[in-house]
Amino acid sequence: MAPDRRAGVTVTVDAATKVYPDGTEAVAPITLTLDPGRTTVLVGPSGCGKSTLLRMIAGLESATAGEVLVDGEPPTIVQRRGELAVAFQDPSLLPWRSVAANIALARELARLDRDDERVAELIDLVGLTGFAATKPAALSGGMRQRAAIARALATDPRLLLLDEPFGAVDELTRQQLARELPALWEGGGTTTLLVTHSVAEAVRLADRVIVLSPRPARVLADIPIKLPRPRRDSDPAADRLERAVVEALERGHAGGDAAQTGG
Amino acid sequence: MIVAVTASIRPLAAPARRDAAVGVAGVVVALVAWEVLARSLEGAFVLAAPTAVVVAIVDNGPLLGRALAATGSTALAGFVIGNLAAVALAGLAAAWPRSQRTVTGLALIVVCLPLVATAPLLRVLLGPGDGPQIALAALAVYYTTLIPLLVGLRAVPDTWLDLVRVAGRGAVTALVVVRARASVPYLAAGLQIAAPAAFLGAMVGEFTGAERGLGVLTIRASRDLDVDLTWALATIAAAVSMLAYAIVGMIGRAATGGQPPTILAAPRIAAGPGRVRRTLASTASAVVATIVLWWGGIILLGITPFVARTPLDVVGIFAGTRDGGLTRDALFAALCDTAVYVVPGYIAGLAAGVLLAVLIVLAPGASGAIMPVAVALRSVPIVTSAPLIVLLLGRGSLGAITLIAVMVFFPTLVACLHGLRQAPGQVLDVMAVYATAPWRVVVRARIPAMLPAFFAAARMSVPAAVLAVTVVEWLATGTGIGALMARSASLSNYDALAGAVVLVTAVAALGYAAVGAIETRMLARYAPEQAS
Ligand SMILES: Nc1ncnc2c1ncn2[C@@H]1O[C@H](COP(=O)(O)OP(=O)(O)O)[C@@H](O)[C@H]1O
Ligand SMILES: [Mg+2]
Repeated sequence: MAPDRRAGVTVTVDAATKVYPDGTEAVAPITLTLDPGRTTVLVGPSGCGKSTLLRMIAGLESATAGEVLVDGEPPTIVQRRGELAVAFQDPSLLPWRSVAANIALARELARLDRDDERVAELIDLVGLTGFAATKPAALSGGMRQRAAIARALATDPRLLLLDEPFGAVDELTRQQLARELPALWEGGGTTTLLVTHSVAEAVRLADRVIVLSPRPARVLADIPIKLPRPRRDSDPAADRLERAVVEALERGHAGGDAAQTGG
Repeated sequence: MIVAVTASIRPLAAPARRDAAVGVAGVVVALVAWEVLARSLEGAFVLAAPTAVVVAIVDNGPLLGRALAATGSTALAGFVIGNLAAVALAGLAAAWPRSQRTVTGLALIVVCLPLVATAPLLRVLLGPGDGPQIALAALAVYYTTLIPLLVGLRAVPDTWLDLVRVAGRGAVTALVVVRARASVPYLAAGLQIAAPAAFLGAMVGEFTGAERGLGVLTIRASRDLDVDLTWALATIAAAVSMLAYAIVGMIGRAATGGQPPTILAAPRIAAGPGRVRRTLASTASAVVATIVLWWGGIILLGITPFVARTPLDVVGIFAGTRDGGLTRDALFAALCDTAVYVVPGYIAGLAAGVLLAVLIVLAPGASGAIMPVAVALRSVPIVTSAPLIVLLLGRGSLGAITLIAVMVFFPTLVACLHGLRQAPGQVLDVMAVYATAPWRVVVRARIPAMLPAFFAAARMSVPAAVLAVTVVEWLATGTGIGALMARSASLSNYDALAGAVVLVTAVAALGYAAVGAIETRMLARYAPEQAS
C-alpha cells in the first residue's frame, strides 16, 4: 500500500547513541517515539546533543549503537521519497539564488513540480513579502532564517525537522511566527520535531516537550502539553507547564553535579 | 611559469584611487629611469630605451601585428582546450571523490614536465603546424585552472550539501546544484592566471621551429643582436600578457559580481593518523596513472620506436643496461650543474619575496601601489624576460640565478602580501589598544598568518623554478640539464631526452613534496590553527 502523503510519519529512536570519531559522546542511549502528525519539541542546555539527535533522525549522522527508523525504515528512505525537510540552525541559503529561488530549490531537489504560487504564499507567510527577488546577502540574519523555514515548508513534508529555527529572529517576529506557523504543520500530515532553547516557545508550539540532560543527551522528562489549540497568548496552564519544564532542566544540572561529586 | 597563486586586489575605494595615482606615478618614474639608463648605456647593446622600443614597434608594425595574431590565436586555442580539460577533470574528481588524489597527483606530474623537452618532442610528433604551440598552451593552462577549481568545488559549507542529502540526492546533484555554481569565482581566479600562461605556452612552442609568431621573431632578433627589436617584442608580449590577465579578471568580476577568492595552491594532505600511508597511496596511484598514459599513448598513437621510449626503456637507461650508464652519468652531471643555479635562485627569490612583503606591510602606503604592479609583472612570460636578462646580465650564472629568483619572487611576494593581510582583525585591534610596536605586530600576528600563503607559494615555486632554470639554460647559459635537453632534441638523442624528462619531472615533484613536508611541520609548530 502506498503511504498516504497526508499522514505524518512515525519516528522511532531505539536506544540510539552517538559517539563522534574524536571520542565526543553526544547522545547517550535515547529511546523515543514521535507520533504521526504531532509536534515534539526538544529542549536542553546548549551543546547537549540536540542537533546531533536531529541530524540522526534526518539520516545525516548514523547512530553509533541502536537505531533510528522512520515508518519502520531507515531515514534514507524518507529522504529519497522527498518527504523530509530540515531547517538547519544555520539558514544555509545558496548565496547566488534569490529568496524565491532558494525556496523553490527544495521542490527541485525533491523532484516536485515547480509551484510559483506556493512559493509566493510561503514568502508572505514568513513575512518576507517584497523580498522574493532579494539575494540572501542583503537580508538580516532573522530574515534568512525565515527564508530557510519557508524552504523547509515548500515541499509539504511528512517529516519536518527544525533546529532552532527562530534563533536569529527578532522577538516580535518570533512571537508572530510562533502564532502563525503551527497552522502549517498541524493538519496532521506532518510529524514535526523542533529544537529550541526557549521554554515558552516550546510550550506554545508543542504537543509534547522532551527535556534533555547535559551532554551526552538523555531524556530527563517527557511532558505532554494538552492545551487547546489555537493556543492563547497567556494561559495559567501554560505557565504551570513552563515551570515543569524549567524544573526538569534544573534537575538535569543538579543531577550532573551530583554525579560528578560522586553523590 | 605562472603558478596557481592569485591575490584579490582590494576593491577600488577612495584610498585605492590615491594608490592608483601612486602607481601611475611609479610607472612614469620607472619609464624615465629606463630611458636615462638606456641612453647612458648606448653602444653596450644591452638595453633599448622606451623611445627606441616605440620606434621599433612602429617600424615593424605589420610584421609584429601578423606575429601577434599568430601567437594570439594559438594561445587562445590552447586556452580553450586546456581549460575544457581542466573543467572535465575537476568535474570527474567532484562527482567521483575517490579519483581526486589521482587526478591532482597526475596533474602535478604533468606540470613538472620540462617544457624544454616536451616542446621539441611535440614538434617531432605533431609536425610543423600550430599543433605544438596549441598543445603547449593547453598544457600551460590546465593546471592553473584545475587547482582553483578543485578548491572551489570543495569549498562548500557542509550544510549546503546536507540540503541535497536530506532530499535523498547524491554527489552528481550536489555537483550540479551546489558545487558547480559555488566554484565559479574560483574558476574565474584560475582562468585569470591561465590567460598569460597560455601565451607563455604558445611562445615556447614557437621557439621549437614554428613558422610564424612572436616566439619566432624573438629567436631571430636575439640571434641578430637586434636589441631594439628584442625589447620591443618583450614589451609586446608583456603587455599582451598583462592585458589578458586584466581582461579575464574583469570578465570574472563581472560574472561573479565580486572579487575573486585567493587560491594558494593544491591543499595539502591533512596531518593525522594514516597520513604517510595515504600519501604513499596517492603517489603510487599517480605514478601508475602516468605510466599507463605514457605507455598507452605510445601504443595508441602508434609513435615510432625511433622517437618513443617506454617506461621500460627509461628503467634501462638508469640501470645502465642500454648504454653502460653513459646517458645516466651525463644526466646526473648536468643535474648537478643545474642545482648550482636553481637552489640559490629559488632561495633568493623566496627570501626577497618575504622581505619585500614585510617591508610593504610596515609601510602600508606603498602596498596599494606595489601590489597591482607585482600582480601584473608576475604575468610576464619567462621566455620574454629570459632574453632581456641575458642582454642585461650576460650568459653567466648571475643572469641565470637572477632569472630564477625573479620567477620565484613575484608569486611569493603576492602570496605573502595577501597572507600578511589575513591577520585576524580582532587580534590587530587588541594590539592597537596596547600600542604595540609595528614590528612586534608583524612578528606576533602577521607572520603566523602569512605562513600558509608563504608555503603554498614556496611549494608551487618549485616547478616554476625548474621551468625557469631549464629555459634559461636552454636560451642563455648553455649548461646543465636544460641545455642537455635542447641539445639532445636537436641531435635526436631520444634516450637522453626521455631520461631527462623523467629525471627533471621526478626531481621537481620530489622538491614539491619536500617543501610540503616542511610546511606540515612548520604549520603544526607555529600556526597550529592553520594546519589542516
Ligand atoms: N562533527 C562533530 N565532531 C565532534 N564533536 C561534535 C561534532 N558535532 C558536534 N559535536 C559535539 O557534540 C556535542 C553536541 O553538539 P550538538 O548536537 O550540536 O549540541 P546542541 O545542538 O545541543 O547545542 C557538542 O559538545 C559538540 O561540540
Ligand atoms: Mg544545535
